[in-house]
Order: sequence, then C-alpha cells, then structure tokens
Amino acid sequence: MLGFLFRRSLLALFVVFAISVITFVLSHVAVDPATGIAGDSATDADLAAIRVQYGFDQPLMTQYAGYLADLARGDLGRSYLSGEPVGQIIAERVPATALLACLSLLFALGIAIPLGVLAALHANSWLDRMALTLAVVGQAVPNFWAGLLLILLFGIKLGWLPISGSDSLAHFILPAITLGSFAMPALMRLVRAGMIEVLEADYIRTARAMGLGEGQILFKYALRNAVLPVISLTAVQFGFMLGGSIVVESIFAVQGVGYLAWQSMSRSDMPVIQAIVLLISMIYILLTLFADLANAALDPRIRSKA
Amino acid sequence: MNFRKLCPLAAGIGLLAGPVLAGAADNGLTIGMGEELPSFDGYISTSRDGVVMTRHLFDMLIYRNPETFEFEPLLATEWSRVDDLTWEFKLREGVTFHDGSEFNADDVVWTLNHYADPESGARSQASVSWIDKVEAVDPMTVRIVSKEPFPAALEFVSGSLPIYPSDYVESVGLQEFGQAPIGTGPYKFTPGDSNSYTLTAYEGYYEGGGKGTPAIGTLTFRIIPDTATRIAELIGGGVEWIWNVPADQVAQLGTLPHLRAELGSTMRIAMIGMDAAGRANPDSPFKDERVRRAVNHAIDRDTIVANLVGGDGEVIDVPCYPAQFGCVTEAATTYEYDPEKAKALLAEAGYGEGFKVRMNSYRDRARAEAVQSYLAAVGIEADLEMLQARASFSAWREGNVDIWYGDWGSFSIGDASASTGNFFDGSTNDGARDEEIIGLVQQAATTVDEAEREALYSDVIGKITERAYWVPMHTIVMGYGYADGLNFTPNVDELPRFFLASWN
Repeated sequence: MLGFLFRRSLLALFVVFAISVITFVLSHVAVDPATGIAGDSATDADLAAIRVQYGFDQPLMTQYAGYLADLARGDLGRSYLSGEPVGQIIAERVPATALLACLSLLFALGIAIPLGVLAALHANSWLDRMALTLAVVGQAVPNFWAGLLLILLFGIKLGWLPISGSDSLAHFILPAITLGSFAMPALMRLVRAGMIEVLEADYIRTARAMGLGEGQILFKYALRNAVLPVISLTAVQFGFMLGGSIVVESIFAVQGVGYLAWQSMSRSDMPVIQAIVLLISMIYILLTLFADLANAALDPRIRSKA
Repeated sequence: MNFRKLCPLAAGIGLLAGPVLAGAADNGLTIGMGEELPSFDGYISTSRDGVVMTRHLFDMLIYRNPETFEFEPLLATEWSRVDDLTWEFKLREGVTFHDGSEFNADDVVWTLNHYADPESGARSQASVSWIDKVEAVDPMTVRIVSKEPFPAALEFVSGSLPIYPSDYVESVGLQEFGQAPIGTGPYKFTPGDSNSYTLTAYEGYYEGGGKGTPAIGTLTFRIIPDTATRIAELIGGGVEWIWNVPADQVAQLGTLPHLRAELGSTMRIAMIGMDAAGRANPDSPFKDERVRRAVNHAIDRDTIVANLVGGDGEVIDVPCYPAQFGCVTEAATTYEYDPEKAKALLAEAGYGEGFKVRMNSYRDRARAEAVQSYLAAVGIEADLEMLQARASFSAWREGNVDIWYGDWGSFSIGDASASTGNFFDGSTNDGARDEEIIGLVQQAATTVDEAEREALYSDVIGKITERAYWVPMHTIVMGYGYADGLNFTPNVDELPRFFLASWN
C-alpha cells in the first residue's frame, strides 16, 4: 500500500509540474503580457519599459526557470499590478469562494436528495417527469442568465435580497442558488437511479418481508447505499463549482477567487492567473488522489495492478 | 460579459419597483465601478477607473477646465515658459495634504523626479518620459525641464502628473502608499472593506482652485464588474451613478421615473486601420493606395453613426478628434459613400474579383459587422474576429491583422500629438509607416511655435487622408445612468468629475 501511495503521489507531482508548464507557456504566448499590464492606451515606450521591468525580454525558458525556482521555495510571486504577494491576495479571497461553494452544494444536495428519492419512489409518474424537466432545465440554463433572472425577481421586483456584493450572508443567497442549480440535476438523477436500483435489491425485499416500516427501509437501508456514488460525484461537482464561480462571482460581484481570476485575466496579471490555475488543479489532483487511495484501500486488486 | 439583450427586460421589470434612494438625504453618492484598482497610485493605476480615482484623491499643478478647455490654477497659481525647455510654476501657499502636512516645492520635485526615472515603473511612459529634471527655485517655486522642446507639456502636467507628499511616501514606501494614499485632492481616502472604496470630502481643501470645493460629502465606489448587474443595481437603488451603459439601454433606463440616462459625446475616435505597410502580409492588397481609397468609399459611415452609434456621435474625416489643437479638418481629403466607385477602384488595382482579409475589433460587434458587410458588398471578404480590447490592440501593434476597427481616447489630451502623433509616428501603432509622414509628425512634436505646429499637422492630415491610410470613422459616445436629482455633467474627455456634482 505504501508503494502504491508513493507511485500515485509521484504521478500527482508530475501532473502539477506539467500544469505549471502549460499555464506558463499559454499565458505568455496567448497575449503579450506587457500589453495587458500597460493597458490599451500604452505607447511603445511604455511597453518597452514594462518588458524590461518584468523580464519579458528574457528567453521564455529563463523566465520559466525563475518562476519554477520561486515556486519550489513556496513563493508564488507578486501581482504585476498591485505588487502584493500572490499568496496573500488569493488567501484573502478563498473564504468568500469557499462559503459560496459550500452554500451552493448545500442548496444542490438539499434539493437533489429529496427530489431524487421522491422521483425514484414514484418512477414514471408526473412527479418523476417534473423532476426530469427540472433537471434538464437546470442543466441547460446558463449560469449568467439564471443569475440575471434571479436578480430581476428577488433583487429588483421583490426587493428581498441584495443584488451584488459580498458584505453579508444575504449577499451569498442568489449566487449560491445560481451556482447550485447547475450542480443539482446530475446529483438528483444519480440519487434517483441509485434508489431505483437499491429498492429492487433482495435485502430491501427481505427488510420489507420482516415487516420493517417504510421510513426505516428508505432512509436507514436504501438511501445509505444509494448515496455512495453521489458522494464521489459531489467531489467532482465541487471542482466544477470552483470553475463556475468565475462567471457567478463576476455577475454578483462576489470578491472571491473566481472573480479574481476573471479580473486577472482581463489585465494579464500572469502570476495571479498561474497561481489560481495551479490551486484549482491541485484541488482536483488531491480529490482524485484521495479517491484512488480510497478505492485502493477497499479493493486489493487495484493495489497490485497499479 | 455583456448581456445586453437582457437589459430591456431589466428595465421593464424595474418599472414596477420604486426604490427610495438614500444619496440625496445623507449627501453621499454611490458609484458603480467596473474594476477593482490594483493600487491608488495614479502612476500605476492608469486605467480609466484609476484615472478617475486619481483626480479625486490628488491634485496636479494645474487644471484643464473641461468646459472652456482653458488651463486654470490648482496647486500652482501661476506658470510661465522660461525658455523652450523650461516651465516655471509658482505654488499655492497654505495647501495641506490630507494628513495635515504642508505642501511645498519638495513634494513636486520628489514626485516628478521619481516617476521620470524609467526604473520607477510608471505605467504611462508618455506622461513622464519627456521630463529631464524638476528643480526647486525656492520653497514655493519649481521648474520642469524637458529633454527637448515639448509643446504638450502643460497637457501632461494638468492631466497625468499627481503630486504626492514626499515625506509620507518616503516613510511608508510606495507600496503602502498605493493602498493608503494621501493627497491634496478634494476627497480623502477612508479605509473600509475591500468591496468598495470610500472617499470623504476633505474639509481642509483650499478655495480658489479650478476644481472648486466639493458639494457631495461622501463618495462610495462599489466594484461591480458586470454591465447588466450594474444596470440592475442602478434600477434597484444599490448605486446612484453608472457609466458604460450600452447605447440601446440608455433610452430604456431614461424611461424610469427615478433615473436619468444620457449619451455623452467623447473625444474618443474610432478608425479603421489598414495594413498599408504590409506588416501582416508582405503582399497585402492594402499596400495599393487605390484599394485603401476603395475601402474609404465602400463604408457608409453616416448610416453606421445614425443607427449604431447614437447620441451625439458624429462622422469624422480626420485622423484626430476635431476639437484637438492641430486637428485641421479642412486639410482632409474626404471620401463619400460610393460602392460603385469602390468597385471600380478595386478593379483598377487588379482586385476586380475581390480578396479575403483578416479583420479584428473589440468595442461593438454590431458596428464591426456592419463594416464587414459593407466590405463584402464591394468584394472584400473580411474574416471578423471580436477580441478583448487589449488582445485586439496587441494584434494591431504586432502586425497580425490586415484590417482593424479600433478606437482611441488620446489620453484625454486636447492636442493632435496624442492622436495623429500617436498613430503615424513610426511606432508599432503606425500601420502606414510612411517615412515622409513620420518625419513631419516628429517635427511637429518638438515644434513650440503654435502656428508652425498647426501648419505641420495640417500637412500631415492632408497626406494621411489623401493616401487613405485610415478610414476615419466616428466619435464614440459614453452612456451614463444616474439618480434623478443628481446634478452631473458628462465631459468629452470621459472623466467624470464628482467634485463638481451635487444633489438638488
């Protein structure tokens, strides 16, 4: 098991390295970072001064080596624009994004599990079809449009909730619904499918035969088994939420990592972009690594094959 | 992100709501801003929002009145030219920084000398690179010496050179200063949360300067990056002033009883640049003057302006903003809309069958597509790519595009050196690279005599338009929306001055 752990960690490290190369090259090739920093009204003299100041006149390999050396020391560099350490800038933004992601997930699960169970119990009824419609619509409606509709209804027409900002918990409700409604359908379909399968299993029939109450059968025996794949999907959805938060945070002006990413992209603040991409990919890699390890712990065949 | 299509809906639903605005009651104004500022250092934050912030926190030596275009006293009360290279400024007595410390010549000398050094990292080198040195004659008199005769000196002194308190900056460092600025401006920075910036009217602000004394007590700048959300916040009363409202939304917003919306004219000009020098393609059809003239005849600018620009937007025939010094409109060769003539010129140049080009633009897809279809009508198939402003500028500067529909705000400077002088000077902005014109532009940039300068620009404009290097397109309008009851006047330089605004 130890050898397996070592091999998977090494692989994860290699993936991190590959991602750092790709983000670095892409961000320097896609657009001249000097133009991004200087803005669209820059003159040639401005661009020349910036290229020298930030070392863009050096060969790409030299720049990357410098970046990697700093990275190895845990130094993510400084923002080209504000001059503040990137680690600090991102750390300030993580709480807002973490709160948004957790609330979105709560919202998604809070709708998905009961609706999925109901749909499974009444498969092919009007209720099931309504849940299916909801799932299709939820998945098909783009974030930005859903967000705007929520703003119109709750922010302007009813005036119940603040439209944008991240000052209070109330500010997070609309963005969390927007982000969560995108993650919800897949979870709901999985709960439904899992429940239908489990409810037909022999041990449920046995439980019924033994005269257990329907509530006990549903929640104590069926749901606990049906929900297992949902947990791994939730981890994946959590990753998607970090990506989706770029759009949602920008719409609702939530001062989180996603908004920071969007703003840094529009200003070519490379050190910040690289650090965010690295952070998000590390979260993915860690989640995958844990899943691998958990599977390996459960199934000896995986350990020996890998 | 621009969800323009949805905004009429926003405006429609807004009709049902009637929020009560707090601004007038507490004499505060909440402003919806597009971007977070990386720093309050005006030499670093040179984006539009950054410049607006700079002008409220800091003062320059002199002030250009946006109505009369005259220079007026600010930190300096008198100024005069000593010789071709030197300007002398008498400083105002009794001015204090927001921390109460006295303002004097040391502050001017330190600030300008610091940023004139390329090592300082000032973002806009054009603003500072002309300065050779700045010296104090006495505690209340300074001299700015330029490297060579520099006619546009006062434009930059009044526009982009804020003065910092030398003692404070030296004690805390510029990094810290950029997060907790202290200036002599009409508003002082009040630390708050990161979602908004709060500025409070500076009670010690001097009287008699061009900026007057501010009427509104508190300015709160809220950062809302998305245009549709900003509009929704304005309708809902979360903010009381926004800009960059799309032209088609201005009319919708204006129908709401609690709001006012208008399109203000600006000195920003739009143009179509062609790869006349063959940077993108050595065999570029645009190397042929007849092809460039054909493009000028092919595009119906009047129709584009009437239908897609709106407001006070107007067609221009010159490669500069008509009110700029040196922008001699009479010198221009003009091209009427005549697609038949365009086709004939193309045939004459050997392109009777038409050709394909790569085109890019950024500001307005509808306008760019209109140009694309006018070109198609005479046989030029333009493969249009809509980009972010910065990427689009990069593509033009690096010579990666055949035809470019861009625009230029001249750093809000009222002199043709900032427009014509910036695009025909042989720099990367220059898609024509015409040696004769480059020579004349460089000569104009260092000629101090006004009549001589004007004659040089007149010559330049004549040659540029005759050789049809650009299609000068139109001026651009800026959409503003704000609470009814706010006295606010948009200016052509796209720099809102909240120190001049007030509530009824």
